[in-house]
Amino acid sequence: MANAANEVTDKSNSDNELIYTYNRELFYHFDKEKGFTQKVEYQNPNNQVIIKQSWDAAEQRLDEVKQKVIIGKSSPVAYYMEKILMEVPMLAAYMEISSWRVKRHLKSRVFKKLKPETLQKYAGIFGITVEELVKPEFMR
Amino acid sequence: METTKTLINYTHRQAGHCESGATSNLFKHNGLELSEPMAFGIGNGLYFSYIPFLKIQFAPMISFRNLPNTVFKRSAAYLGIDATVVKKIKEPKEAMEMLDRNLEMGIPTGCQVGVFQLTFFPPEYRMHYNMHNLVVFGKEGNMYHVSDTVMEHPQLITYDDLLRVRYAKGAFAPQGKMYWINHAIDKPIDLKPAIILGIKKTVNEMIGIPFPLVGVKGLRWMARDLKKWPKKHGNDKTSFYLGQILRMAEDFGTGGAGFRYIYGAFLKEAGELFDHHQELLEASDMMGKTANKWREFTYIGARNCKNRSKPEEDYGTLSEKLLEIAAGEEKVYQKLKKIKF
Repeated sequence: MANAANEVTDKSNSDNELIYTYNRELFYHFDKEKGFTQKVEYQNPNNQVIIKQSWDAAEQRLDEVKQKVIIGKSSPVAYYMEKILMEVPMLAAYMEISSWRVKRHLKSRVFKKLKPETLQKYAGIFGITVEELVKPEFMR
Repeated sequence: METTKTLINYTHRQAGHCESGATSNLFKHNGLELSEPMAFGIGNGLYFSYIPFLKIQFAPMISFRNLPNTVFKRSAAYLGIDATVVKKIKEPKEAMEMLDRNLEMGIPTGCQVGVFQLTFFPPEYRMHYNMHNLVVFGKEGNMYHVSDTVMEHPQLITYDDLLRVRYAKGAFAPQGKMYWINHAIDKPIDLKPAIILGIKKTVNEMIGIPFPLVGVKGLRWMARDLKKWPKKHGNDKTSFYLGQILRMAEDFGTGGAGFRYIYGAFLKEAGELFDHHQELLEASDMMGKTANKWREFTYIGARNCKNRSKPEEDYGTLSEKLLEIAAGEEKVYQKLKKIKF
């Protein structure tokens, strides 16, 4: 293992817990004496912290959107879009309509007037039923 | 439906990077012993660009890799190997039929996929990232056998799931892209000319392009921006941006340190092939050291992300570390540029 990497693991021993242990990957290392080596191991704890941070950030964004939906500022489409980590252009691509239309659908005023077919299509993309789309769980 | 079974005798090997791994495995299957670092080096896996005005997943767009399929296409072209790349297939069903036909003919086929809905993929990586590669090498009824170099073992995936990931939407959508090698490689192939071409191209892409956001220049630009972020965006957002840089650098295809290790290993192999070429071996050593510096950078950065409220290490330090890395890398490329083969 590389010198620097060794130091790294030593220093962070106190909080060296692995968060994700689903799969081991192949990593390369460099050491002045041994040269380049390969090793199959779990992603190192430091990187796992970074991954976790971005999931936490996603959760936080979802919470914010949820509040907006509850007070009626945004439509449930906004909530479910955030839930599957999508952004407007991507959702528009899946919906096969233009971005500005999706953006409109994020307003609850416009959402209430949507046709059943459009709702069905949204529900299909989000992997839920139309009822769940119109009235999300947290609003029941 | 009757169950048909076609299973190609394909060896699954794990690799550090999805595309160079798939490329190397495909070449090996067809009779050319091409290691992963070799494929990565010849096919110009190393790259950097920073596009601050484009936001992807709420953070500036940073890319540590070339456009999808560059590694396979260029290594095949530079080595003079007969390979096919189908860039875009409009009809998803047609794309799957094409895949089936290939499998019946005994051709393992590489596919570009999005990872968000990739059923067997580690859950923590399942973001909307469309530049992942895997090789399909068998079909059994409704199930496909795939070799994904991230995973320890070969995996199974259903027809519907494979179709879905091959037609994921968003930035760099795969659009059913697939690639394969047409014939078994029976004549011996000289790697040397391809290595020279590959090194020249990478050197040019990293220091030769007169545009400030690409290559080493892009790295410097990002380092300078990093220092400004806390004032401009506040601590929370800066920490998130930094996290995105680190995630791009370490997790998605192991861009930062990982790529430098692979490239260093490539230079070492190349150096040995050119009768222990001193300068190439020195460059390989330098690359290894830069890679270790990248790892330190991620380490400091990760600690910074952890204590969001009170950053232990100042962003200025990180920025300086990044500038140091940029300087180190530039030296390697300049050294490579001067080598006469």
